[in-house]
Amino acid sequence: MKKYLLLVFGVWIVIVALKGDDETKFRIPKNWPNPVYDFNKNRLNKDKILLGRALFYDPVLSADSTISCTSCHLQYTAFTHVDHTLSHGINGKIGTRNAPALTNMAWGKLFMWDGAINHLDMQPLAPISHPDEMGSSIDSVLLRLRRSSIYPSLFYRAFKDSAVTGEHFLKAISQFMLTIVSSNAKYDQVMRNEKGIAFTSQEANGYRLFRAHCASCHKEPLFTTNDFRNNGLSVDTTLNDFGRIKITHNPKDSLCFKVPSLRNIEFSYPYMHDGRFATLQQVINHYTTGIQHSATLSPLLDKPILLTADEKVDLVAFMLTLTDKEFLFNRAYSFPKEIFMSAPKE
Amino acid sequence: MYRLLTVTFLSFICAGDTCAQYVVPIQFRNTWNYQPIELEKSIYHNQDTDSVSITNLKYYISGLALLHNGHEVYAEPNSVHLIDARIPKSTTIFLSLPKDVLYDKVSFNLGIDSVTNVSGAMGGDLDPTKGMYWTWQSGYINYKLEGKSNVCKTRNNEFHFHLGGYGYPFGSIQKIVLNLERTDSITIKADIATFVKQIDLVNQNNVMIPGDDALKLSRLAASIFSIQK
Repeated sequence: MKKYLLLVFGVWIVIVALKGDDETKFRIPKNWPNPVYDFNKNRLNKDKILLGRALFYDPVLSADSTISCTSCHLQYTAFTHVDHTLSHGINGKIGTRNAPALTNMAWGKLFMWDGAINHLDMQPLAPISHPDEMGSSIDSVLLRLRRSSIYPSLFYRAFKDSAVTGEHFLKAISQFMLTIVSSNAKYDQVMRNEKGIAFTSQEANGYRLFRAHCASCHKEPLFTTNDFRNNGLSVDTTLNDFGRIKITHNPKDSLCFKVPSLRNIEFSYPYMHDGRFATLQQVINHYTTGIQHSATLSPLLDKPILLTADEKVDLVAFMLTLTDKEFLFNRAYSFPKEIFMSAPKE
Repeated sequence: MYRLLTVTFLSFICAGDTCAQYVVPIQFRNTWNYQPIELEKSIYHNQDTDSVSITNLKYYISGLALLHNGHEVYAEPNSVHLIDARIPKSTTIFLSLPKDVLYDKVSFNLGIDSVTNVSGAMGGDLDPTKGMYWTWQSGYINYKLEGKSNVCKTRNNEFHFHLGGYGYPFGSIQKIVLNLERTDSITIKADIATFVKQIDLVNQNNVMIPGDDALKLSRLAASIFSIQK
């Protein structure tokens, strides 16, 4: 009988060990909508997140090992490339669009300024392959990972399989990107009624103006609807970028670009798909006096937004409450020293 | 209790004999008229133009099913296959059927359905390393034909057809239903000559984005499949 019990206990241990898999739970911030990403198809686990984080910081993804994801998506600047209007790639090449800030990607539906990418998993393929970005291909990246001294064992730890496949590579990067969540700005603390936290009167007035004039597209709490809109920018004739129409071939989508989130906007300058505005004041002036009318202009911008000089200052004050210092300096998102420092040189 | 025993008993019998599976091979024969396609080596002649050689030929077959009197009697689970002319083994699919299933038609899709197209990273034949996934815009390439012809005034006289697109109104997946004469093994011929001869290679030699052209050519590509008697 004792033997039998022992056997049952042993089987139970094995089942628990197999099932447990160190699953990491994805925490949805209070009062936020459900994520778009289907976690059932890619269950979070700390080893997979760590693998994805290593890949995010590794220039091995580019043809000449000079450019990593973080080259254009730097944590301290809200995972974008400040001071550069257009993205930079290998051999000093310049792209045609402003690198977007990365945040709250679990709630993203379509990615890129024109929505060319239909799933977070598939997003890394674009910069890896683009000749003006990383200029490589998934096949050559995987070949290099297979030959590396660190990756086969990281893949094994994450997926219980040392084979470096495209599926596992992409799912691991997704895992890291999914964990990049910004939900602890002053704005969030005010919304959660945290003790001792309140908007200043200036911020409160800015919030009121924001809700009246901006929130239909920059919808709380994500500060975007993830839709595509023509926000009245004139066409830059050096780029001739008409946005989403390139993907849908639908004339209604001409000049439509994705509505970006405003989270951490203080640090994600310059603004717009081509980085044409360096400051938030310029952005606000565009919306008050710079709108170009055209057939596809968002109807919400048809009537001019009128703001006094003081109101503009208040609006900026509110936008600064979207800065999330915990996010910007979260060690869990930063360069994974423990992996690269302990690895023998190749 | 007795019923349970009976079910258990029957299921054992089932596993052992009467319900045993049998295997039907479905071979895809890529031809130029009646000859099997040989990549790179052979030069084929177009009736009105000149020479054509094929350097790459790959396509997705999905949703394989068998029909009897118009009704589906078998659907292959997780049915996705990448047929690659460079990999002979990839051109035959083995279906494991329950015994005694009768069928007179085979149906399948040329391409990948829209749900799969928006489902993120997948493995096996759907792994994005198979050269059948677009990187600049998400989506599978359903049908890829590349080659050379002296009528193409392009770099190295190359032509490229990467046909795909899943979103409205450019959904390019094609359903194909073929009547069977024999059912113990199925050979499906895909005649590349029929496809190439209907394209004006002088003027149309690069289609690599979803859209009207890809849609028209996808329909043309679907029309070249027939049962080899």
